[in-house]
Amino acid sequence: MNIETFKYDNRIVRAFAIATVIWGIVGMLVGLLAAVELFYPGANLNFQFITFGRIRPLHTNAVIFAFVGNGMFMGIYYSLQRLCKARMFSDFLSWFNFWGWQSIIVAAAITLPMGFTTSKEYAELEWPIKIAIAIVWVAFAVNLFGTIAKRREKHMYVAIWFYISTAITITVLHVTNSMTMPAGWFKSYSMYAGVQDALVQWWYGHNAVAFFLTTPYLGLMYYFLPKAANRPIFSYRLSIIHFWALVFLYIWAGPHHLLYSALPDWAQSLGMVFSLMLIAPSWGGMLNGLLTLRGAWDKVRQDPVLKFMVAAVTAYGMATIEGPLMSIKTVNSLSHYTDWTIAHAHGGALGWNGFLTFSVLYYVFPRLYKTSLWSTKLANYHFWLGLLGIIFYIVPIYVAGITEGLMWKQFNKDGFLQYPNFLESIIQVVPMFRLRSIGGTLYLIGVFMMAYNLYRTAKAGQFEPDTEAQAPALEKVEAPHGKLAFHRLLEGKPLFFTALAVVAILVGGMVEIIPIFLIKENVPTIANVKPYTPLQVLGRDIYIREGCLGCHSQMIRPFRSETERYGEYSKAGEYVYDHPFLWGSERKGPDLAREGGRYPAAWHFNHLDDPRSTSPGSIMPRYSWLLTQKLDRESLPARLAALRRVGVPYPDGFENGPAQKDLDAEAAKIVADLKQGAVTCEPDREIVALIAYLQRLGTDIRSAPVAAQ
Amino acid sequence: MEEKIICSMNGVGIYGVISICIFVAFFTGMLLWAGTKKKGYLDRMGSLPLDSGEIKSNDQLNPE
Repeated sequence: MNIETFKYDNRIVRAFAIATVIWGIVGMLVGLLAAVELFYPGANLNFQFITFGRIRPLHTNAVIFAFVGNGMFMGIYYSLQRLCKARMFSDFLSWFNFWGWQSIIVAAAITLPMGFTTSKEYAELEWPIKIAIAIVWVAFAVNLFGTIAKRREKHMYVAIWFYISTAITITVLHVTNSMTMPAGWFKSYSMYAGVQDALVQWWYGHNAVAFFLTTPYLGLMYYFLPKAANRPIFSYRLSIIHFWALVFLYIWAGPHHLLYSALPDWAQSLGMVFSLMLIAPSWGGMLNGLLTLRGAWDKVRQDPVLKFMVAAVTAYGMATIEGPLMSIKTVNSLSHYTDWTIAHAHGGALGWNGFLTFSVLYYVFPRLYKTSLWSTKLANYHFWLGLLGIIFYIVPIYVAGITEGLMWKQFNKDGFLQYPNFLESIIQVVPMFRLRSIGGTLYLIGVFMMAYNLYRTAKAGQFEPDTEAQAPALEKVEAPHGKLAFHRLLEGKPLFFTALAVVAILVGGMVEIIPIFLIKENVPTIANVKPYTPLQVLGRDIYIREGCLGCHSQMIRPFRSETERYGEYSKAGEYVYDHPFLWGSERKGPDLAREGGRYPAAWHFNHLDDPRSTSPGSIMPRYSWLLTQKLDRESLPARLAALRRVGVPYPDGFENGPAQKDLDAEAAKIVADLKQGAVTCEPDREIVALIAYLQRLGTDIRSAPVAAQ
Repeated sequence: MEEKIICSMNGVGIYGVISICIFVAFFTGMLLWAGTKKKGYLDRMGSLPLDSGEIKSNDQLNPE
């Protein structure tokens, strides 16, 4: 037997580990600021770059792609080498992956506060950064497959399957959802419109949770949990079922984000049914993790690594039963748009991703520095503080979410809305927002404690850049004819395995997405619905820039409580020119789908300048810079041309002259309207465009027949 | 009420039926197939992470 000696690369693992801690702190600090702004809107100091609408995507992107992303790379680079008994395929690609990823994070941290956003949740970054993401991700995938190809261990352990599914599915999701038409370096319009855009976005959004926050972390669980407990996984058979059922089912469940929306009913039902089916593999995986500790629970008491892991796997179980329950249409009718969704997301994020990341950090750091953890006691304090933080975060927010949902739906005995003013529901839950920020603070203090503990561990030990290892060279063994079991063949051949995994993830996506594009009846056209005017296009882009959809939906569901409050329910045909769709997923303010004409222009002016002047108790931030900043009308031709390219029927040449005249005329009209409300404003200010857009919303079908083909 | 919102669609019902059939077939097949795995193979696969091949193993570091 030919024994080979080789070295594992620890430098790259350390780099990702440090980045994980740093970006974790940054992302959570931004989250805390966002949480404070929700009960103290002045916390942005009237500074547009840190206003809630802009830092919400910064927070989500930072914790998902910077904190969890780096954590994922840290765990994969550590475990993959050891499972393959091989150094990473290419050190160059490893470092390209590292520095490329950090550059993307920095680019996001600069562009998102500046308002450069596509508005699509968890895919907000503009097109040049999206291209960079694709390149860096492909480099990671090549490194992953290259390492697998040169492995010395014949079999691919289940963790590697999860890594493979992550690499390929994120590629498919990112490319499909990033199809945009540039209108300058920092502006683009989604190729898809309205319902189709919504379906593609939530197919992406849901599966980003699945294949960025879940599958790679399950791979980490399957590697680090047995390592920390020093015993094999409870049932390898169950892990096989867990993997295939999960990757096959997850992809179908995206439409559960769009229940009761204008998405066709059959797609909603598929999303709901497959979400419920997901409980089976998810709980199989959770039980597999927890049962691995059978007979070793004494270790959990002593070892903070295992403590964090047990809590993380339990949080995974809680989140994966709650998610399917929220996908049941009746439950969703109450939970959707409320803070319940935020509580659900944070149970998974803080518990599953956060705690598993911490456990891997506590596992990896002492091993990289060839020493013991500096303080187990401090790590234990971190655990309990983190757990308290999670409870103080999610319990108030569950209460807030259910309160909002019930208040929005409550009718009095005469059949009128009990709380006709939306603001009443928000004022009611503001104390919960305060409590939530305390929970977040506790959690963040725990992270600082961990950072200090890891720093002291590093100081106490000596870093080992390469770990020497030995393994026999992989010999090519010819299979006896017909004797090789199918699965052994499968996991012995990465390419074949990958091809099957691709088929498994593509089936669900294709069955749902293709009909929405091909069957015309899915989006009935409405004759009265017309493209936005030039001024409204610019106003809509300001709406996107300011992240208004972070708090305001534009999708009225077909419930009496909603039609009473907002007007006629939304139809698919109303959104055919919406590139991108702006349905939103959360209501901290009322739905705006029928906002046009509800209030005079001057009300909007005063409200945007100081929301509390028109709505006492409002938690909306001031947008006073809109009153002074000049409208960027020079970009109008490029924007209109891009919109035409994605299918909005502006006549040829419209953007070269007629559009500017059209814009001037409409701006003059808005200024005249403002004057009636005793407000004077220059016609070239941003607020004029935004008011034009808001006054247009939902007015197309006000006098129209519902569906004129 | 929902019938009014979502206009009738010809032929899409078949997608639901096909999807459920695909799922049932996939899940049943996978359960049966996972059931055929031999114990020796499963034990060996399960113990893969425990041997990292490191010459001076760091695996048993005392957390204290």
